[in-house]
Amino acid sequence: MDLGLFAQYVMNGLMLGMMYALVAVGFTLFFGVLDVIKFSHGDVLTVGAFTALATFAGLNVLGLKSQWFDLAIMLVLATLAMALLGMLIARYLVMPLRSAPPLNTLLITLMLGTVLRESVRLFYPQGANPKPFPALLPRSSIDLGEFNLRLDNVLMLAAGVAVIVGLQYLLNRTKLGLAIRAVAQDEETARTMGINFTAIVLVTFAIGSGLAAFAGVMDGLYYNEVNFGIGLYLGVVGFSAAIIGGLGSIYGAILGGFLFAGLQTVGTVMLPFASAYKDVFAFAVVIAIMAWRPTGLIREKISERV
Amino acid sequence: MIRTGKLATAGLTALAIALAVGVASAKDKVKVGFIGPLTGGVSVNGIGGRNSADLAVRLRNADAKAKYTYELVVLDDECKPNVAVQVATKMAADKDIIAAATHYCSSTAIATVDTYHKFGFPVIVWGAVLPDITYRNKYAEVHRVNGTMINQNDVNAELISKLGFKTVAVIHDTTDYGKGHNKYFSEALARIGKAKIVGTFGVTADQQDFAAELTKIKALNPDVIYFGGLTPIGVRIRSQMDKLGIKAVFDATSGIVSDAYIQGLGPLAEGTLAFREGAPTDKLPGGKFFMEKYNAQKYDNPPEAYGAFAFAAMSMILDSIEKVGPDRNKVIADLANVKNRPSIVGNITFDDHGQNTVAVITKYVVQDGKFTEWDESEYASGKRKLPGQK
Amino acid sequence: MATEEKARASLWPGLLALAVATAYLIALLAVEKQALIIALLAFGIVAVLAGAWLGMFGSISRSFADHEDALGLFTIVALLAVAAVFHEDHFVLLLVITALLYSVATLGLNIQFGYAGVLNFAGASFFGIGAYTSAVLNGYTAVPHLIVLLIGGLVAALIGSLLLLPVLRTRGHYAAVVTIAFALLFKTFLEVNDVLGGPQGMQVKGMKILGWSFNDNIEVGGVQLSFYMNYFVVSSLLLVGAFIVVRRLERSWIGLNLDALRLDETAASCFGLDIARWKITAFLIGNFLIGLAGALFGMVGSFVAPNNYTFADSLILVSIILLGGIGNPWGLIVATFIVVVVPEKLQTIQEYRFLLYALMVIAVLLFRPEGLLPRPVRRYFPGWRR
Repeated sequence: MDLGLFAQYVMNGLMLGMMYALVAVGFTLFFGVLDVIKFSHGDVLTVGAFTALATFAGLNVLGLKSQWFDLAIMLVLATLAMALLGMLIARYLVMPLRSAPPLNTLLITLMLGTVLRESVRLFYPQGANPKPFPALLPRSSIDLGEFNLRLDNVLMLAAGVAVIVGLQYLLNRTKLGLAIRAVAQDEETARTMGINFTAIVLVTFAIGSGLAAFAGVMDGLYYNEVNFGIGLYLGVVGFSAAIIGGLGSIYGAILGGFLFAGLQTVGTVMLPFASAYKDVFAFAVVIAIMAWRPTGLIREKISERV
Repeated sequence: MIRTGKLATAGLTALAIALAVGVASAKDKVKVGFIGPLTGGVSVNGIGGRNSADLAVRLRNADAKAKYTYELVVLDDECKPNVAVQVATKMAADKDIIAAATHYCSSTAIATVDTYHKFGFPVIVWGAVLPDITYRNKYAEVHRVNGTMINQNDVNAELISKLGFKTVAVIHDTTDYGKGHNKYFSEALARIGKAKIVGTFGVTADQQDFAAELTKIKALNPDVIYFGGLTPIGVRIRSQMDKLGIKAVFDATSGIVSDAYIQGLGPLAEGTLAFREGAPTDKLPGGKFFMEKYNAQKYDNPPEAYGAFAFAAMSMILDSIEKVGPDRNKVIADLANVKNRPSIVGNITFDDHGQNTVAVITKYVVQDGKFTEWDESEYASGKRKLPGQK
Repeated sequence: MATEEKARASLWPGLLALAVATAYLIALLAVEKQALIIALLAFGIVAVLAGAWLGMFGSISRSFADHEDALGLFTIVALLAVAAVFHEDHFVLLLVITALLYSVATLGLNIQFGYAGVLNFAGASFFGIGAYTSAVLNGYTAVPHLIVLLIGGLVAALIGSLLLLPVLRTRGHYAAVVTIAFALLFKTFLEVNDVLGGPQGMQVKGMKILGWSFNDNIEVGGVQLSFYMNYFVVSSLLLVGAFIVVRRLERSWIGLNLDALRLDETAASCFGLDIARWKITAFLIGNFLIGLAGALFGMVGSFVAPNNYTFADSLILVSIILLGGIGNPWGLIVATFIVVVVPEKLQTIQEYRFLLYALMVIAVLLFRPEGLLPRPVRRYFPGWRR
């Protein structure tokens, strides 16, 4: 295979990996802080993307059509709205169930995901149809032989990297990040140390959901389309990626995201009958990895009180 | 106080009118059915068809000479075969519904033929183009007023060869619809022999990401990409083609002839080829009449490509019931002898498999955001050129 | 203190409840007008709330607990009554058959979830495996159709055993991801695989036992019976059989082991229970039941397609178990009927049904996590009550 084609595949893989990684990081954040799997994360992404779409429609009505301005407003609004949604979910659905068996939290968030998805499908005007998402990034591209390097892809990748680096900075170098890591490590001691547990949980959920909104807008820009089902698929993939990388570890989540995308791309290249079996291949590998390393590639230290 | 007074008056008036109407319309009520994709990616076609069938029923009910009052029962098949079988079973199992105009999506129509046969329920297909629907079995219950995809693909292959394109890559969806298009187009192209197919790719009907297929296609560098499938993925493929910098002609079928395709792509839709059986709605024999009445009803959506056929199908059902009465078996017997019955889409004749012949195939190219007939377009006259056209 | 034989609860509360429930079901199925249906449903909800407030459910559950076999017989009579009322109506019978077969599937899921605590989010996939097995065997071989049902169950159990290793080694949410990944994998695999019909699905030949074709209408002494009656009889037999098996299993030493396993794995293994063995047993038996129901359902619907067996459908099965009360077979059957019948009748909410299920489950999880009819504490000796 020639270099240009190879580069194209790599680029496809990187874009997918970035989106999966963003979703996976969200899952891992929630798990780290509250020991919960918030299955509705993927659908929060969908709601975020649709919020951005609605914002765009609103901006159009108001007559504001500048590309960068629109994009900025959409991102800000979607992120803030989703952050708020995440906090509401945490406050009213997840925290009350902390004393219940973890299965219940898993189920309630699964059902919440369904509620979000169906709400978009039913209540957004013509929500059941795929909706075109505006192409707000510059469309220029350079042809390097077989490889078509697009400016908007590069911009999105860069933005994704910036967000992840920013998150790392937040977690490792700020007081807030310190508080989050403390709560993730040991809730009781953190409380004893004077950290406001509820506030930290809410903030973490806000951050994670904001990330989902960002990923949703990216997904819309990449495919120039959003539909009510994008969250389900991305959610499961993101979850699998977080699991592969080991829940609770940010690096693991990012690794898992790119690994999953890599698996899919390899599957596409290797399997002769095009991409039809790529999902089957990727999920089969996930199951196999679970059989081999039950707590993910980066081992989680579980201790259980008997 | 005033509110209750007004309410009471309104109520009494309504009651009086209802009684009057009730007494006046002493006709028997007959139920007829309509099935189409009312939700999902191709819903505009389904809704257009439903509105057209509804129009037919309304016009008939307004006709004082009609023997019965008709009620239209509408079910949504969501363009999914399993849902279609469920709603088909539901409709066919209901003994009160005499006949129905069914299905836009070929995948749903082919899945339900056995169901209709099992229950002895007469149906007329209004939008699905897969030949197997009428030709795989010889079921007396199944008929179709629109044409099949065979002719459409013949004309398609002819045009591509005539324009001098040499290499074609085929993308088709993996339902029977897409597979049918692939089969007939490949056969037609091979028969003409001027162009050849360099690669065939099957994709799922709800696939999101085509980077894999399109990257492989990019390496093959074809002149034309032929697409056998419906609007939702048509939009995605065309848009992702552009993202990967593929500059081939996008040549599609009747599945994308819909406003949703143009709305989804904006300027990217320019230069897309498409083909459809039947003349454009306003050029049909009864086209003007149909459009006039349709617009008078002020429906929210246009009839789309197959609305006229839905109207014709429903009118035929109503005519049949008027003639032989509300009895499924009698309707089946009547529909077995359809020869040159006039309708807004021309004279309809059912062959021994219940299939009508639609001779005219319209060639479309998207020009300035509208589906324009090829012969009238600037592409045919040479003022504009398709990518790679010499 | 010796275990005295306390006076057994009266049969009447349970019998009355059964009769009322049957009458209600028949009314709900018969009524067509939307307004009447809404009224009926509202009445039902009010009645249930009133009953709960008046403490009637306590005496009903005791009655069921003590006279289960008798009430089981009466339930069969009730089923026959429903069939008699609707002997000609194709669609109502189809609805009831769907509810019956879903009940069998949820009973299987219940063995995994409710008794052994093994998470299975791929219930619909195993249902689909059974259905596809019957499609393939009916279409291409001459295997007698009753055997096809059994083979459907066996194939489901067999394919489920592929997941055994990851299921055994994982706990909690990791275990969830295994079955979720399988559910998605299954649907995608069916869609891309042309051999099994691809997204177009396959037609399934109707059942034929000893030459009696199930797809022809029957006429018995001038009374027209819908052909669905055939399937109704087989489905009812299947449900009765599955119910008896599940109940006996629960009360036996196997059930005891499963309960211990679910409640505390570490303690159970300390007592010498082989965790792996019991998890495998529960998983396989559960999948067998689900596959069996799926095989029959394939023949009833005469059509199988990948879209029937998605992750969302698996979630519906899980929500039935949650609504009905984890581990309580009677609760499951009630919940299944509610989940299957109500959206079909209430056409206006057809589109909203996924949304409504999800909201109901959230409400249940927040306010009554044990479900509608929670499973009572295990009884060790007959007549022994909490």
